[in-house]
Amino acid sequence: MSIIKTENLVRHFAVGTQTVEALRGVSLDIDRGEFVAIMGPSGSGKSTLMNIIGCLDSPTSGTYHLNNKNVSTLDDDALALIRNHEIGFVFQNFHLLARNTALDNVMLPLKYAGIDKSEQEEIAMEVIKSVDLESRAHHQPSELSGGQQQRVAIARALVNKPSILFADEPTGNLDSKTGDDVMNLFTNLHKQGQTIIVITHEIEVANQAERIISIKDGKIFEDQKVLK
Amino acid sequence: MLVQESIGTAVDAIKANKLRSILTTLAIIIGTAAVIAMVAMGSSAQQALNDSITDLGARTIYVYPSSSRQGATNTSKVPLDIKDAIALSKDGEIPWQIAPEIRGSKQVKFKSENASLQIVGSTPDFFSIRGYELDSGKTFTENDSLARKRVVVLGSKVANELKTSSRALLNNEILINNISFKVIGTIKEEGAGWGPNPDEQIYTPLYTASDRIFGRETIGSINVNFPVEYSTEEVMIAIERILRREHDIGPGEINNFSIRDWGQALDLQRQATSIFFALIIGIASISLLVGGIGVMNIMLVSVTERTREIGLRKALGATQNTILLQFIIEAITLCLIGGFIGVILGTSIYFLIAFLQEWPIVFPLTAIIGSVTFSAMVGLFFGIWPARRAAKLDPAISLRYE
Repeated sequence: MSIIKTENLVRHFAVGTQTVEALRGVSLDIDRGEFVAIMGPSGSGKSTLMNIIGCLDSPTSGTYHLNNKNVSTLDDDALALIRNHEIGFVFQNFHLLARNTALDNVMLPLKYAGIDKSEQEEIAMEVIKSVDLESRAHHQPSELSGGQQQRVAIARALVNKPSILFADEPTGNLDSKTGDDVMNLFTNLHKQGQTIIVITHEIEVANQAERIISIKDGKIFEDQKVLK
Repeated sequence: MLVQESIGTAVDAIKANKLRSILTTLAIIIGTAAVIAMVAMGSSAQQALNDSITDLGARTIYVYPSSSRQGATNTSKVPLDIKDAIALSKDGEIPWQIAPEIRGSKQVKFKSENASLQIVGSTPDFFSIRGYELDSGKTFTENDSLARKRVVVLGSKVANELKTSSRALLNNEILINNISFKVIGTIKEEGAGWGPNPDEQIYTPLYTASDRIFGRETIGSINVNFPVEYSTEEVMIAIERILRREHDIGPGEINNFSIRDWGQALDLQRQATSIFFALIIGIASISLLVGGIGVMNIMLVSVTERTREIGLRKALGATQNTILLQFIIEAITLCLIGGFIGVILGTSIYFLIAFLQEWPIVFPLTAIIGSVTFSAMVGLFFGIWPARRAAKLDPAISLRYE
């Protein structure tokens, strides 16, 4: 059953007087539980595609069904609600709030979800344990290593039990050892049934997924299973 | 819950930029402090004025001679006369006390000391009307007046002027215009208020003053003290009726005397004081507005600086209203911090000045509540625009903002 279904997604940007066509008709299906890598050189449109399927942006034309719900026409606040409930983001530069502890960072999506304050800490702590950061829960990001920061970010992405985990170049700011750790974490999550989409330009990272979608010039250029 | 969270975030953000926050709120601090200090000083001044009204006796009106104007020409001033005072006394309509005043500056001598002092001739009622209390000896009587007895009651500082003590003067003779008078009493210190200082005057019976010292029947003013049951207007009309008859003023002609109510004058004074303080409060409010603009400016900077944070918050599910609330609360918090510092500063300044000036202290509660509320409103008003900018940010673009 497809969790993501897009038909002919087009996205135009007005740059000065010119119109840039970032996406020129992308149709794709991703099933629940899949581990997909989206690859492409910079300027290929892969970030735009991620923004749209991550509900951070809306297409100029075309439709996007997430969990069988058409989300391509929703407004800003409705999309915020979907991002909160359905999508977990992991970013290349972690995007942790510098003045908050790891625990507070992980609790943030729960606050926006309106979860009771008494439960927030319990739920967040549970997820922090699952990424082995229990002992660092009350530290600020500046006191954590890059790999630890990324694991906090992953905990934050998972805390609302999202349908999809999005990771945008998750290993881009990490050395290869910690990068591998993060990818192993993803593989484990995938084994537990988590749908994961990783955006990357590194083939080693993409090869950890079970399917690679290559984007070039705003279109799907290649869509193939990874042979293991 | 989000409000609580936003306050925490706001305090964190302000702490992270301590110097910038303090500088931003400086105008708010100054404005609030100025408003509070001024309002409090205004209340103190009013309080002091009110106290002085009670001192004067709010139920006394004064009659003075005045020139009656006929068109452009001034007729000569018609003086008040002892007969006018008698006419007022004899009229039984209102049970008032009448104390005419005949006064002038005369050379006073005690032993070899000389001083030029105000001599006031009046009736025995004068002391009670003015609220002067006897310190030693006694006051003169109606009979002393009719007998033109050479007796005087001294203000508390007269002895000073003559380089001696009140005790030494009591029951002794002093010379006024080289005529000797017996000091029969002294009054307690009254303190300078409106008009001549009562402590530096010498009081003597009315007829003694007119016959033996001044040699005239004309008087400077008449004090009319009346019971509270009667209104000032009522009493003024009665005085006017009697004096117009005495002075033979025909219908349509203008009064050649004037009736003054010092309560009225104090009301004017009170108004002038309020206007003065209102003006300063107005200027201080401008400082608050300027402070508000500073807060808006720094909030716009803050929104730009924290574009990525806003993008992240939106990516994690913050709605536009959540972001709006966060930044408005931050602006209000900034203003409130300034407001509270201003309250402490303004109240301290006021207490210090009131203490040094020996003003009655009035705790400026209304001013404190008012100016703190106002600074919160300033934060709300000037925070809305930057907060709206934050709320409207595109999450996809702001996440990648460098």
